[in-house]
Amino acid sequence: MSSNKDNFIIFLKRIYITAFLILCISLLYYQIVKGNYYLARAKNNYVRVIPERSIRGKIFDRNGIALAYDRPSFNIAVIPYQIKNNKEALLGELAKFCSLKIKSLDRNYSRKFQNFFTPVDVIADIEKKEAFRIEEKFANEVLIDPQPQRYYAFPYETAHLLGYVKDAGSFSERLKKYGYSPNERIGISGIEQYYDDYLRGVDGGDLIEVNSSGKIVGFLGKLNSARGKDIYLTIDSKMQQAAYESISGKKGALIVMDSKNGEIFTLVSYPSFDSNSFVKGRDEISNFLNDKNNPMQNRAIQSTFPLGSTFKPIAAIAGLEENKLKPSTTFICRGKLNIGKAEFECENVHNEENMYDALTHSCNVYFYNVGITLGRQIMANYAEKLGLNSISGIDLPYEKKGTIPVSSIKLKNRWYLGDTLNLSIGQGYTECSPIEIMRATNVFANEGYLVKPHLIKKIDNMEITEPKSTKVDVSLQNISIVKKALRGVVESDEGTARMLEPLNLSIAGKTGTAQTNGRPHGWFVGFFPADAPKYTICVFLENGGSSYEALKVAYSFLEKLKEQKLL
Amino acid sequence: MFNNILHFRTGFKPAKIIITCLILLTILSLSSIYSSLHQGGAFTDQGIFYKEIMWIIISWIILMLFSLINYRIYFDFAYILYGINICLLIAVDLFGRSALGAQRWLNIGGFNFQPSELSKIITIFFLARVFSSEVNKGFLKGVIAPFSVLMLNVLLIVKQPDLGTALVLVFLFFLMGFASSNKKRYFVALIIAALIFSPFAWNHLKDYQKKRLIVFINPNAEPLGAGYTIIQSKIAIGSGQFFGKGFLSGTQNQFNFLPERHTDFIFTVIAEEWGFLGAIILLMIYIFIINNILLVARYKKDNFAQLLLIGMACLFFIHIFINIGMTLGILPVVGIPLLFISYGGTHLLVSFMLLGIFLNIYRQ
Repeated sequence: MSSNKDNFIIFLKRIYITAFLILCISLLYYQIVKGNYYLARAKNNYVRVIPERSIRGKIFDRNGIALAYDRPSFNIAVIPYQIKNNKEALLGELAKFCSLKIKSLDRNYSRKFQNFFTPVDVIADIEKKEAFRIEEKFANEVLIDPQPQRYYAFPYETAHLLGYVKDAGSFSERLKKYGYSPNERIGISGIEQYYDDYLRGVDGGDLIEVNSSGKIVGFLGKLNSARGKDIYLTIDSKMQQAAYESISGKKGALIVMDSKNGEIFTLVSYPSFDSNSFVKGRDEISNFLNDKNNPMQNRAIQSTFPLGSTFKPIAAIAGLEENKLKPSTTFICRGKLNIGKAEFECENVHNEENMYDALTHSCNVYFYNVGITLGRQIMANYAEKLGLNSISGIDLPYEKKGTIPVSSIKLKNRWYLGDTLNLSIGQGYTECSPIEIMRATNVFANEGYLVKPHLIKKIDNMEITEPKSTKVDVSLQNISIVKKALRGVVESDEGTARMLEPLNLSIAGKTGTAQTNGRPHGWFVGFFPADAPKYTICVFLENGGSSYEALKVAYSFLEKLKEQKLL
Repeated sequence: MFNNILHFRTGFKPAKIIITCLILLTILSLSSIYSSLHQGGAFTDQGIFYKEIMWIIISWIILMLFSLINYRIYFDFAYILYGINICLLIAVDLFGRSALGAQRWLNIGGFNFQPSELSKIITIFFLARVFSSEVNKGFLKGVIAPFSVLMLNVLLIVKQPDLGTALVLVFLFFLMGFASSNKKRYFVALIIAALIFSPFAWNHLKDYQKKRLIVFINPNAEPLGAGYTIIQSKIAIGSGQFFGKGFLSGTQNQFNFLPERHTDFIFTVIAEEWGFLGAIILLMIYIFIINNILLVARYKKDNFAQLLLIGMACLFFIHIFINIGMTLGILPVVGIPLLFISYGGTHLLVSFMLLGIFLNIYRQ
């Protein structure tokens, strides 16, 4: 009997010593091995940053008119920990009270959720009165969270140009390495994105101690927020508005640039979108995103199109420079040109034409002959020299470069003589964005210099030095010849752009009607006054029908500028 | 190998050791309850603290009282006490006070009293008596009969529901049975039978009990629900590191991240504020107590006394291991207090009572 219990006691000792050893090892593991990890987690529990958003830099136009700035908005926030048990019910009641969709509240919640103790804005940007009304009704469950919110003075007019801002929250993982916190706003497209580093400022916050219900029980310190830098653009907001009005209802882009230094006065793409509703994350943004006309696309710089006859000045300068062509060289236009069995058409029967006539009338046959004389490579080379086949380098994100069929690009089929003819009138494989052809045409206005289009003028008080223009390797004499011919396009009674002459602006330029699968694109690229060009303008209408439509837009736009004395 | 560590050299006086240990535990208990009742530096729940002081005073009186009562009396009254115990449990079921979703308390003269705690001590008397006289009288009379009688007690406690205590009683049955029986295979058979019935028992658990067991397996399954306590407890213990954060400075404790911290999770408070060092010292004190009880049990000639002491040691061991194990997340949260430390009058009273009996057995 007794030895029975003796054995049991020894057995029991073994058991409990083993058990206590297990406890010791666990303690050793949690407190010593993983001690630092758990200490960090404990700190995470009770140390919170109540973020204070920095004020984002304003964006001004060249005359100091504010285009984008922050203003206070009132948001309704909830603390996840407090509502963990009745989240669905509370959001439902809130939605009902404010006659919003519960779905959008839910979406805001899951998108902006950070941790159980940081307030989450479920209703964004409401009237101050409304905010207080809600707070009164749901006193213990919600709080008013005032935040600076981006506001655009001309939401549609400057949508593509400026872009918009958004909480970094939803893509915080991607952005962490760039130092964005999920609470911070980040610029999406346009100037807001390109100059985000200057505009964004540094968010601050209060470092506080909280208890388990999220109540503040201590104050550890304050991180001061620093406001972002203001940005001054080369844009003229009045001109921008006029441009937007003129192109409204069409589909395309309108750009005006300083011929001398590449400062952009106006850059408009139509259709546009409401940048303010993107800031607020409202439901209507899906209308913009799903629109088949693609209003989010900045047609001035992000799409490329066949450029049609606006290529002809480039073919002309190539011929002149290579001494294959003189201004007086004539070809005879019979309305078409037959190459083998294929027939290449012209708009008209122009009979005998020299180079001036050919540009004035935009004679295809003349330039077919130029193309045959020069060949593909020379024309392509000059197109490249004038900045086609590369991005303009404008200070906007996501610029897309066009294509010029230089020998290095891979073609689907063999290159035929017909392709050379198409190239000489800007069809076929040739494509570029409006800003590219505008920049190329500006070489004739700017005595052979290729400018770098840009939008930035000043960051806070720091003037930004203008990007240097590069001299294109062509003779000034030949430049003047083409320039003179381009003036003829508007000045001459037979010129394709003569409808602009009554404006009395001494415009020079080139029209283009580019064939596509659908309706043709309409182009007009020009500059004025021809003697000492100051403005270079490009009007592009996607599937606009013809260059005539583009000229109409250009006309009404320039007329407005004259009326408002903006020139 | 453990024997060498555990055998005390001659000259050690178990009674003195136990008293010393108790004094240390009382100090530790009061200071950690004091700390756990603070929030952000403010003493928020003074009433509980003063109640606890009163319980401790009563407990020490009980200890002395019981050390004077001849333990043989429990042999004589074991069955009667057991009957009273069952009556009390039925009374709880009928008139008891509910708190935290369980009906465990009887209000006697202003004090809330937990008969299920008393049940433990009476069960030890009962089992010690049965196993010291009846155990080798065959399977039916020696094993099945006492088990059936015990199950009455267990089921009443499960009904409250107090799963932790019920489990402790079942453990006690097997451990004390093992200690006294020649026919251990009877008990093995019973354990196997119990295991076969356990899925059936699962269906009778309350939802919160099932949840606790599920959460034990994966605490992150419900970080804000049932798993919250375990996660917060682990964070508190781990963040204490070697030396702890210091008295009244545990952030998990002071900022209210730790639920039930003055009762079942008091160990977490100690480990957070006193670190690895404090926790190990506490464990050492417990080892001293259990070890001394077993030391005396070994050299006692009286069968009943031996079984009482073994039951006592087992009860202490099970309690301590399950409680600390659950704060560390290595055992499920079953809601039993940490002996001598947790707030709660009845369990304190019962533990001191048992040690009073120990002192009496030692002196006889």
